[in-house]
Parts: sequence; structure tokens; C-alpha cells
Amino acid sequence: MKGLDHLPWYRRPGVTISLFLAPALFFFALYVLAPIPVSFYYSLFRWDGIGERVFIGFQNWRELTQDPIFWRALKNNVTLVVISILVQLPMGIALALLLTSRFRWRKLLKTIYVLPYLMSAVAIGMLWRYIYEPTFGLLNMFLEAIGRSNWILDWLGDPKVVLYSVINAINWQFIPFYMLLFMAALVGIPDELYEAAKIDGASAWKVFWTITLPLLWPTVTNAAILSLVGSLKYFDLIHVLSGGGPSHASELMATYMYKRSFQHFRMGYGSTVAVALFTIGFVLSMVFLRATRCREYEGGGKR
Amino acid sequence: MLKRATMCLFVISLLLGMSLGVYAQDINLTLWHIHTNVGAAQNTIQDAIRRFETDYPNVKIEEVQIINDEYKTKLMIAMGANDEPDIFMSWGGGPLETYISAGKVWDMTDALVEEGIYDNFLPVALDLGSVGDRVYGVPITNMVAALVFYRTDIFENLNLDIPTTYTELLEVMAVLNDNNITPFALANANKWTGSMYYMYLADRIGGPEAFYKAMMRTDGGSFASEAFIKAGEYLQELVKNNAFPRGFQSMDEDLAQSRNLLYTDRAAMYLMGSWAWGTIKAENESLLEKLDFFVFPGVDGGLGDPSNLVGTPGDNYFSVAQKCEHKEYAIKFLGYLSDENAVEMLIANGHIPPFGEDIGSKIDDPMMKKLYQAVSGSDAVQLWYDQSLPPELAQVHLDTTQALFGLEMTPEEAAQTMEEAARRYHGEN
Repeated sequence: MKGLDHLPWYRRPGVTISLFLAPALFFFALYVLAPIPVSFYYSLFRWDGIGERVFIGFQNWRELTQDPIFWRALKNNVTLVVISILVQLPMGIALALLLTSRFRWRKLLKTIYVLPYLMSAVAIGMLWRYIYEPTFGLLNMFLEAIGRSNWILDWLGDPKVVLYSVINAINWQFIPFYMLLFMAALVGIPDELYEAAKIDGASAWKVFWTITLPLLWPTVTNAAILSLVGSLKYFDLIHVLSGGGPSHASELMATYMYKRSFQHFRMGYGSTVAVALFTIGFVLSMVFLRATRCREYEGGGKR
Repeated sequence: MLKRATMCLFVISLLLGMSLGVYAQDINLTLWHIHTNVGAAQNTIQDAIRRFETDYPNVKIEEVQIINDEYKTKLMIAMGANDEPDIFMSWGGGPLETYISAGKVWDMTDALVEEGIYDNFLPVALDLGSVGDRVYGVPITNMVAALVFYRTDIFENLNLDIPTTYTELLEVMAVLNDNNITPFALANANKWTGSMYYMYLADRIGGPEAFYKAMMRTDGGSFASEAFIKAGEYLQELVKNNAFPRGFQSMDEDLAQSRNLLYTDRAAMYLMGSWAWGTIKAENESLLEKLDFFVFPGVDGGLGDPSNLVGTPGDNYFSVAQKCEHKEYAIKFLGYLSDENAVEMLIANGHIPPFGEDIGSKIDDPMMKKLYQAVSGSDAVQLWYDQSLPPELAQVHLDTTQALFGLEMTPEEAAQTMEEAARRYHGEN
């Protein structure tokens, strides 16, 4: 640091860094940090958004703890987190492996597989809405055509099925993203390792478990955190596809917050849900981050 | 020096240019409504805009169409952010009163009288846009009642008669189901669509008083009373007897998923606001020959008169925002929306205007005449629950009704939930 002392104060690295960060930091503070305490403040009121705010203390919070719909939404969020991590990540790895191996249609397939990730959530929502349509939908018509009418389900209307139908569409949307992530990581694995394994006569299976997966692991944990956070605050496709319905069967915390605030016009209660969503997401991410960081550290120690 | 002079000149000319720009700028009025599909309302509104802009070339009406289910949210958020449009649409009743009590809506009573358009509107329709005798919204689109539209050809082929009682309705449904035809085309993701069945059943069982007392919290009225529980039971009986198509809970009325079943001979009946006549006319005009309607059947032993209707005397109410800077033009535009041209335009497109003189004699089409008589002839028209109730309770009604359709709540639970929400809202416990 001594070598920098001759610089005028405004050219010191700390100052420069802060200056370049300032614009982004300003908007981050305004749109991300500030709303957190403000939402908590609103959660203490009864307010319809345009009328008078009435202070009611912690009444909204008491209601939240007894609100069966909120707990159902939380449970749905947890289901979404688990299925997302268990399906999207392995599928992403599998597709990445497939597309980094050399075969004829590789480029074409790559383009096709990335397509869902390029579409907007609303377009994907409409698309799957028509696929799941009960009478004229692609899926049910297909089942009818192959003589499997007994497999026909009310994909978006049956409360027992709807959550899984929607999660399926969400998986479809996000697998390409993880595929790209893993493809980038796979490229970074040195070829020598594979050559050495080949010389040793290791099977493809063994190569995957002892070389590819361990070296991919940091990417896997990062992907898992992305998936966890993304699933906890997920909103768009549910909103377009099922609206959280029927009867809250596919409700998530974020859609529930939206409904309470902007459809029922209970801004106070909506803010309560929002703060709860934030707290749960924050705590879970912290725990997860801690857990994976320990693991990374251990791995580093061994090396 | 020269550099500075040019700079000064540049700045001055820039300022001048800007101020000139302000003077030359047209007056802009934003208008929000829900008519995203071609049809009576959209045609009439756009025609009025064209005529108005021709007569007042300095005024531009900026029309924004927002799909129905998103509309209320957008409007409320815009109002919360003090960014409401100059002219906006609502359905009168409870939600409009929320905006009025927040001081967002202009009291246009005197301006209407001055412009000489106050008397355009039918008094019964004007009521719903008023608080006391002050008018905040004028009815623009349609006199509406929910009616059961049905496919006459299907009824004829199967030798079915129009059901006049609930029991007869169950019989008709059985025959239709035996012939693989869904009795009712219903898309209930929107919730207000299924609410029509519930409202009619509650009316037929308990009469209009049941709802009125429960809503006004008078005479021991309660949403957990016999009429509402029974309505839930009858509703679930309809569901269990396959009254509705597969997947109806996830189908979207705004995407015509209900009417598609009617168009493809898969469903025979369609309980919907009478605007459906205009909608079908725009979507599938040839079907009108095979379409007729009847009033929702009565319930044996019920207190309600089976000729009572559920609906709205004006449908869409147009209001002017308090903060609108050019109210004098806004009110003139409302005149264009409710003049003789608009009357003709609405009738030609299958709507019954809630304004204008002697509407009955202006309707030539026999089916439209029949619609007019049905809608204007009833003594008691129950306004949609979700427009009578304050928005918060309206949502509870819609949610519990959808849960009833899904057999996820018992009628008692649904009624109890609604009553508890009403008590909480009115601070009764």
C-alpha cells in the first residue's frame, strides 16, 4: 500500500472503487435495501393502498402465523426448492455432458435446448397453458390420440396435480440455464486428466464420478444456491400459468404476497407476507451458504 | 469570446424552442378500459374517440386497453402512486366507492347538468355510479343480466325442454351427460364466472333479502345463514353431477376457453352476462341462429322469485379523475360516449345502452328485443356480489366460491369463512 501514498486522495484505489460503485449502490439501496425496513413498517398497518393507514401493531403478524394459506404457500415453496434442485441440476449436468461430447447434431441440439431459457416467462406461461388445456390442449389430445385417455388429468385444475404441472414447466424453463452453467465449467476441466484416466483404463462411469463430478462440485453448489434462492422468491410462471390456483393449491409466498397486496388491496398484510418471505429466504440461504462453505474449505484442506 | 456567445445563443434558442413546444402541444387525456377484444364496447369507444378528436383537434385521447383481470390491480396501483388516468372505467358499486373515499374521483354532477347530458342516462343505472345524489361515474356500455344461453339445436335433438326448476335442470343435465355433452360451458379460473351460479342459487333459495341483510349487517343478516349454506350445497351437487367441463377450474374466460366448448358442440349451456350475445356475435356470428337464452331456474321451496336477475344496470362506469387537468374536455368526451351515435353503435353490436331515449323502439333484431325485455323487465336485479361488496370481501367471496366448485370446502366452511371476513372487515369482533 505504501507505494500508493504519492497519489492524490481522489486517485487512491478505495476512492476509485467507491466512485465506480456509487451509482449501482445508490439504486441497490433505493430499490433493494430501503424497501425492507419500509415493508416492515407497513406491515404494522391496515391499509388499502390509497386510503388512510391505520396502525394496528402486530395484528398482521399474528394473523400470518394462523394463516393456513401462507403455510400452504411455504410448503409449496419448499416442494419447489427440492424438486428444482433434484431435477434441474442433474438434468443440466446430463445435457451439458451430452452437448460437450462430440457428435453430429451437437450444434443444432444446443440451439434447441437453449430456446426455453430465451423466452419470456409470460410466453412460456401461455405456451404451457395451451399444452395443459383440458379439452383442446396438446397434452390431452396427444394422450387421446395414443389411446391413453385414462392418463388424462386435469393438469391445472386439479389441486393435487397443479403444483407438479407448474413445476414441470418451471423445470423446462430453467434446465437450459444450468446446462449452460455446467457446459462452461466442463470446458474448464483439463483434458490431461481424462487422457490419464483413459490410459489407466477407467470406465466412463468411473471417470464421471472421480474426475468430472468432483471438479464440477463448486459449480454445483453455486447452482444449488441460485436454485434455492430463485425457487423461494419464484413468481412469474405461476402467476401466468395457474395464478396460484385453484384454491391456492399452487400458491407460492410471492404470489400470495401479490394477491394480498394488489388483488385484495391489503397492503399491510401483503407487506407482512413480503417481510416473512424475505426473512425465510435470507435465513435459508445463509444456512445453505454456511454449510457449503465448510465443505469447500474441507476440500481445500485436503488438497 | 465568440465561443461563449454562440453557446449563449444556443442555450437561448433551446429554451425558446422548448417553451414553444409546450405551447404547441396538444391536450392529452388518458383513458383506461378493459376492452381488449373487438366487440360492441371497443367499437363504440373507438368510434367516440374518432368523432371527438375530429371535433376537438387540439385534444388527443390516449386509449389504453388492459385485460380484465389485470385491470383492477393496475388501476389501484396507479391511484396509490398518484398516477391515475384522466378517464377510467370501473364497475360502480363498492370498488368505485373505495376510490371516491380516497378523494380520487371527480364529482361530475354539476358538469353533467351543464353539458346537458345528465338526462342521457337511465336513473336506475346512474345510481350505481353515485353516492347519494352526487354522480362520480356514468354507465357507458351495457345493461346486463346473467342469463343461461343455450344451444337450441342440441336441445331440440335431444327433446329437451327449458328447465324452470332446479330439479328439471338436473334432469336436463343427466340427458346431456348421457350424450357426452357438457351441460355448462364454464371457465372458472376467473372466479367471477362461477360466482354467477352461486349468486343465482342464493337468490333463488333466500331471496334478494338474504344477501342485502348480510351485506348491510342488518336484521341479523349473515353470510353463514341458511340461504348461503344451501346455495353451496346445491352448487356442489351441480359439480358432482358433472355440470361443468373437465378442467373448468383452470380455464380462462378471457381466453374464450368456455365459449370454445359451446362453439365446438361440446357444451350446451352457458351462464353468462348478456354481453355474451355481443361477444359471440363478434367471435362466431353464425352460431347466433342456434342460440337462445332462459332465466336461471328456480329452486323448489325457495323464497326468491325465479324471475329475479343478477347483473348490473350499466356494466362499465366511466369516471374522471380528481387530478385531471382538463375536466372540461373529459366531460365533453363522456358526452360523445353517450350520444345517439353511441346508442346506435352499441345496439348494432349486440349491447343494450344504459343511456339514450326510448331504447326499446330502436332495437330491431328480435333476439336483441327479447334480451332487452328480459333485462329491463325484471323487478329485482341483484348487482354482482363482487361489485356490491368492498374489494377485500369481494375477494373472499370469489375465493370461497371457487373452493366450493373444487369441493375443497364444505358449504358450511365457505359460509363461515365469508362471515368471519365480513365481521373482521366491519370490526364486529
